[in-house]
Amino acid sequence: MTRWNDGVDEVSTVSPDITEETNALPNRYFTDPEVHEMEKEKVFGEYWVYAGHANCIPEEGDFFTRTVGDRQIIVLRDHDGEVTAFYNVCAHRGSKMVDDTPMSDPGHMSRIRCPYHLWTYDLDGDLASTPKSFEEPGLNPDLEGGDVRPPDPERNGLLTVPTATIGPLVFVNFSDDPMPFEEQAGKMKEELEALPLGEYEHAQRIVSEVECNWKTFGGNYSECDHCQANHQDWIKGISLDESELEVQDYHWVLHYTHDEDVDDEMRIHEEHEAQFYYLWPNFTVNMYGTADGYGTYIIDPIDEGRFQLVADYYFRDADLTGEEREFIRTSRQLQEEDFELVERQYEGQKMGALAQAQLGPNEHTVHKLHRLAQEAYNA
Amino acid sequence: MSRSQRDAEAFVVTCEDCAVETRTDDPNETVAFYRRHRSATGHDVVWEGADAAALDGLDVPADADLAAVVRALDGAYEGGVPLGVVAAAMGERGATMAETFEAVHDLRMTGGLYEPRDDHLRPF
Ligand code: FES
Ligand SMILES: [Fe+2]
Repeated sequence: MTRWNDGVDEVSTVSPDITEETNALPNRYFTDPEVHEMEKEKVFGEYWVYAGHANCIPEEGDFFTRTVGDRQIIVLRDHDGEVTAFYNVCAHRGSKMVDDTPMSDPGHMSRIRCPYHLWTYDLDGDLASTPKSFEEPGLNPDLEGGDVRPPDPERNGLLTVPTATIGPLVFVNFSDDPMPFEEQAGKMKEELEALPLGEYEHAQRIVSEVECNWKTFGGNYSECDHCQANHQDWIKGISLDESELEVQDYHWVLHYTHDEDVDDEMRIHEEHEAQFYYLWPNFTVNMYGTADGYGTYIIDPIDEGRFQLVADYYFRDADLTGEEREFIRTSRQLQEEDFELVERQYEGQKMGALAQAQLGPNEHTVHKLHRLAQEAYNA
Repeated sequence: MSRSQRDAEAFVVTCEDCAVETRTDDPNETVAFYRRHRSATGHDVVWEGADAAALDGLDVPADADLAAVVRALDGAYEGGVPLGVVAAAMGERGATMAETFEAVHDLRMTGGLYEPRDDHLRPF
């Protein structure tokens, strides 16, 4: 039942039963600045989050940075050709080391050098060298030359952040005790790894800022009850009745069946449908069905009332054909239609009139998103 | 700000690569937008327009440099000119955000500017 905010009603939490109960996450979790602060730890500090695409850093020493909440990491290709991640924080006195470097415009370095006092690290994070002044205590009369031990390369190395992958998609985890990546990714990992994702190259990134909570947009992405009314162009080729919204432990998959068979050349996977994966908390993989390529979204909170949608597109070749460009334009149109909806919804959410929303039977995916949020908060 | 209220907003910047824009009343929000956008994409951001009253009264030539612009704006703001207003004024002189911030950095590092509070500039 919908619960209005009449000032007395104690709003209940979300039910674990996704078929019987239709409770949404209580509204204040979308609008409270303290919830945003809490989520930095309890959501983005606990679960595996998407860092970026391994194809963007093919050579040893290639790197990009990624900021999640208050933390920034350097994701790089090391000497062994593996992708590793470190906090962008110097082991000497904690300076941030490299400048912001997006995945779509990666950098290259043979060593990681902190600009403050020039401590320099190997690509495996070990301290490789320090300036002479760290070995010779010439300015300190209390120390004789022989007393100084140079810093130990490993014990004064960079702090590693665990990584895991689905094909070329790289994930990181900031928890002291991360849950196994396989548990969070579930069968999404096998399903996507059956596809040649790694053969496709990053072709375009479009970043937008939207005036609503990241979960408001996540909820919109996860259901299609709004499609008939709001995505006239997109809905034309889709049989909504035959589509299916599948819910797994930490992800859900939206299978949208096409009215007519799509040309086999035109898609990366075999199913005659578009498949959209949402992986908790804020990452999606979009298999369009009508394009030989795929996309990803990162739904990054800026604060409780804003997020960045980072949309990346991958095709056989990084140089876009006219058709591919047109395809991205259409995808962009869909985003704009949804931004309009979620900003309007958020204006309503902020009025404080609604204490807790009610979800329909085809919004079980939204319910899953809300349930995972609640579990994270209570953990 | 919501999409329905946009016409009221005075400061407008866009990323031409992404074809996204931001409109805001708060000049320094354009700076925050630029920083976030730059860190996610590496893209520069350009000015579409700004109608702050202070810019209309700006009595410096169209090709004035940063130092002259900050000096001219200084009187209109107590506690420093918001960085976004400086960027807007430079935007009207054809500079992108990245170009303006590079100039601000250079001038600060050579002692020509200081920041009495975050993201507000005063000339020396
Ligand atoms: S803080 Fe990095 S070298 Fe000193
Ligand atoms: Fe939508």
